Amino acid sequence: MKLLKPTWVNHNGKPIFSVDIHPDGTKFATGGQGQDSGKVVIWNMSPVLQEDDEKDENIPKMLCQMDNHLACVNCVRWSNSGMYLASGGDDKLIMVWKRATYIGPSTVFGSSGKLANVEQWRCVSILRSHSGDVMDVAWSPHDAWLASCSVDNTVVIWNAVKFPEILATLRGHSGLVKGLTWDPVGKYIASQADDRSLKVWRTLDWQLETSITKPFDECGGTTHVLRLSWSPDGHYLVSAHAMNNSGPTAQIIEREGWKTNMDFVGHRKAVTVVKFNPKIFKKKQKNGSSAKPSCPYCCCAVGSKDRSLSVWLTCLKRPLVVIHELFDKSIMDISWTLNGLGILVCSMDGSVAFLDFSQDELGDPLSEEEKSRIHQSTYGKSLAIMTEAQLSTAVIENPEMLKYQRRQQQQQLDQKSASSRETSSAASVAGVVNGESLEDIRKNLLKKQVETRTADGRRRITPLCIAQLDTGDFSTAFFNSIPLSGSLAGTMLSSHSNPQLLPLDSSTPNSFGASKPSTEPVATTGARPAGDTVSKDSVNATSTPAASSPSVLTTPSKIEPMKAFDSRFTERSKATPGAPALTSVTPTAMERLKEQNLVKELRPRDLLESSSDSDEKVPVTKPSSLSKRKLELEVETVEKKKKGRPRKDSRLMPVSLSVQSPAALTAEKDAVCLSVPAPALKLPMPGPQRAFTLQVSSDPSMYIEVENEVTAVGGVKLSRLKCNREGKEWETVLTSRILTAAGSCDVVCVACEKRMLSVFSACGRRLLPPILLPSPISTLHCTGSYVMALTAAATLSVWDVHRQVVVVKEESLHSILAGSDMTVSQILLTQHGIPVMNLSDGKAYCFNPSLSTCSGRQAARLFSVPHVVQQETTLAYLENQVAAALTLQSSHEYRHWLLLYARYLVNEGFEYRLREICKDLLGPVHYSTGSQWESTVVGLRKRELLKELLPVIGQNLRFQRLFTECQEQLDILRDK
Amino acid sequence: MAKVSVLNVAVLENPSPFHSPFRFEISFECNEALADDLEWKIIYVGSAESEEFDQILDSVLVGPVPAGRHMFIFQADAPNPSLIPETDAVGVTVVLITCTYHGQEFIRVGYYVNNEYPNPELRENPPLKPDFSQVGPVSTSCLGQAGSLAPGGVESLELGAKVTS
Repeated sequence: MKLLKPTWVNHNGKPIFSVDIHPDGTKFATGGQGQDSGKVVIWNMSPVLQEDDEKDENIPKMLCQMDNHLACVNCVRWSNSGMYLASGGDDKLIMVWKRATYIGPSTVFGSSGKLANVEQWRCVSILRSHSGDVMDVAWSPHDAWLASCSVDNTVVIWNAVKFPEILATLRGHSGLVKGLTWDPVGKYIASQADDRSLKVWRTLDWQLETSITKPFDECGGTTHVLRLSWSPDGHYLVSAHAMNNSGPTAQIIEREGWKTNMDFVGHRKAVTVVKFNPKIFKKKQKNGSSAKPSCPYCCCAVGSKDRSLSVWLTCLKRPLVVIHELFDKSIMDISWTLNGLGILVCSMDGSVAFLDFSQDELGDPLSEEEKSRIHQSTYGKSLAIMTEAQLSTAVIENPEMLKYQRRQQQQQLDQKSASSRETSSAASVAGVVNGESLEDIRKNLLKKQVETRTADGRRRITPLCIAQLDTGDFSTAFFNSIPLSGSLAGTMLSSHSNPQLLPLDSSTPNSFGASKPSTEPVATTGARPAGDTVSKDSVNATSTPAASSPSVLTTPSKIEPMKAFDSRFTERSKATPGAPALTSVTPTAMERLKEQNLVKELRPRDLLESSSDSDEKVPVTKPSSLSKRKLELEVETVEKKKKGRPRKDSRLMPVSLSVQSPAALTAEKDAVCLSVPAPALKLPMPGPQRAFTLQVSSDPSMYIEVENEVTAVGGVKLSRLKCNREGKEWETVLTSRILTAAGSCDVVCVACEKRMLSVFSACGRRLLPPILLPSPISTLHCTGSYVMALTAAATLSVWDVHRQVVVVKEESLHSILAGSDMTVSQILLTQHGIPVMNLSDGKAYCFNPSLSTCSGRQAARLFSVPHVVQQETTLAYLENQVAAALTLQSSHEYRHWLLLYARYLVNEGFEYRLREICKDLLGPVHYSTGSQWESTVVGLRKRELLKELLPVIGQNLRFQRLFTECQEQLDILRDK
Repeated sequence: MAKVSVLNVAVLENPSPFHSPFRFEISFECNEALADDLEWKIIYVGSAESEEFDQILDSVLVGPVPAGRHMFIFQADAPNPSLIPETDAVGVTVVLITCTYHGQEFIRVGYYVNNEYPNPELRENPPLKPDFSQVGPVSTSCLGQAGSLAPGGVESLELGAKVTS
């Protein structure tokens, strides 16, 4: 056993109340008192484990510190997945932390120290319910629940899938509850309190199973915490502070009948913390000893107020080791490493000790399978993860298989070296936005910064967004959810992929995991050649790591630095930079003719409504010169002044300039038009703003400025639309206030208050006659030459401006907006003009214009589903994605999702589905006319896809037969 | 927990002449999209004696602010010398950057400003009346190098306090 006290782990002398090692063993968290608040610090584990790392100044020791707790932190606990950290403190709060992968290092501004937070952990939930200090928190074995206990005498069970939902509040203790532990199979939770009782609660109905008081009769409430622990085999529950013959003990409570016959004796003062080793051990088999298998046993560490620590094995009558005088004050918390060979102990004196055991001392740890077998034999079905996929076949039937595997290992090695080379530049990668470094941005910030004037003449700056947060929205949430995370960077909606993902990728044990995020977003720009195989990608990436890293660096250039409004997806519009020239070729004369025809058509149908069109038309018919247009308009408006009466009523703001019809009538009719659809309105409408700016794209730099009611000419207020594209400006005026605007590199469109939609080319030429929407606008969106309008009455229309056709015609979304308060939280348009909607309940739909139907995509919020459910959900999700990609006719997405899906099937060992896919991709080897098989799918050759799948299949030895079959058949086909 | 927190404030062009504008590069982080704009102000403390001499050099709206990290440059003209008490013109004073949301101030970052004559002679024997009180562009050259800013004492008072929305 080795003992180490890393002095650098401290809270500046303040007490440390809790310590917990991350499940992956790379870091640990401490919680305690900060300067004038509570403090949670995340530390790097490697300097504790290795002396070289401790001396290396380039290896950070502190990874992140969080001062958000208002008072002392009593407990920090990692979730079993390692994704979350929960902390509870004297401020009655529980905070749940999650790592923000999107953001590089930062310092705490205002703190004079230069300590940068290497990792960013941000609080994703604050759980408020306790009316007193929170003493202990504990994640359930499958991470579905989080329990917390408090000096308010209660235990609260939180729904960890849906914070801050409370599943149950366990009442029954009559004193401060100071410790919690879950049964490893998830059937019970136990709590120990100052009321001299230990209570066991059922998780089935959250009712009290038993209350144990006898061993605690003599106890006084003298300890700060009472951290009890359950053995990993589930047989024993060991309490903190108990008394036996007026000596302090740790009481052992048997699961069978809750008997209290045994205890750990020897500490001279009250036991504050008991912590079982997560592993179950068995005796090291010595040569020559009898082959009789020894009984597995557990290992337990006990810390006490007497400042000493004892480690016990359940097979021994005496403690394995007792360390006295380890600290100056009481031991507060203990945490084992996941491998069961190390423990971190923290103390009220503000220091931390690390103990390192060898396997000779503790024994051979059982593997997870053996452990779950023990659970299964004792308790039936175990919540622990099924490890069926690990039972690979032992016999290798085909040397090809081995070749593949070796090659893959080689690639992994290469990647590791490549990634280590990259890590040196990782810091700078984090500071790179939009392909330029933060330094470059800084230099040009003043020039780039968009500054406007608000209605009251004040300056308004649109800040430059230098990093986005993963606020758990659609695309990013999925990233973190499933184990395949690395390669999901190419998710269709997340083409704003990000540099921070990189380090993550290189660690994925999969060859194309790393190359994917860099290539995929690039591929969005155009059809990716079908023959461009993944294996080729990975070869490229690995053989020329130097070449792959720049491509990685250019990827972020897709990130839009300025995301005014929700134009987050407008980067798609950039994808077709060549197109504007095309649109402007359209002969203007023809256009005008069409326009007039349209207006004529409209007129007989509804003269009054068309009148609102015609005033829009005024500036349009003379698109040649701006000044001329204005002049003309002025003339018109003066004329109007004589005829019409400008209204004063502010609610009916738009003053209509009707040429053909009496103004009064129009006004009335307009009012009716505006008010009639009101009850049917479901979606929020943008309110009229005095002025606003919209960044369409940054490369080429293009933004739209709207100023409403700029000039009042003869009682008529004009609104100005200004568009700036790489310094070239054009502007136009509209007679109604502009509510919302959108643009792409091809088109700019605005929706006015009078339900009119006007579409202009990138050069400011009006492309379509004003379109009258059936109800007020809710959201407007442009991608390429497609314009999409979502009205407040939840009807959706999409036009292809370039071809002058309607793609989706006033489709009602009522069918998918079932439910009273459901709204469309996000809507965007794909490159092919297919609308994709994201609803407020997390579901996403896309509209298929040819089928005129909506198809749903599974909600992407998988991130905290229990493991068993996760498998099914992930599978269903991936299947949905594949189907959706088919619907969207997006070949590269289809390819991407199919590969992912296949990989998941391979990893999880779903043979039947995998076989089915292969069969479909392969088709009939021997050509027959009767076959219905199509050789391509969304423009990709199926057999090429299969070739891409093969290396994936080859990763799992279980599928060696399938692999060989497919490969042989492909070879036959090739030879033909 | 704060929804908006300041990550960094960099003072650009420091030191610089008295009459050159203040220029701060402000980076901040926002946890969730804000419905309305943030209002930032630069306040020059004319005299430590009284708030009466505080000059709001400029106030600017910043928005829209989606969740994420943002930065912008806040530039404001130099203070009006005629509003600064003569006795306080040369020496150390403070410039404050504040941020408010819905009229509620929640961040205040302060910097010391040291106004001094670059000319050693003038520094030794400062004129009774500060030179910028004389009319004309003369003052620029006279009061020359001023406004060396160092982060200090008035450090972020309520840094990261709650945005009340």
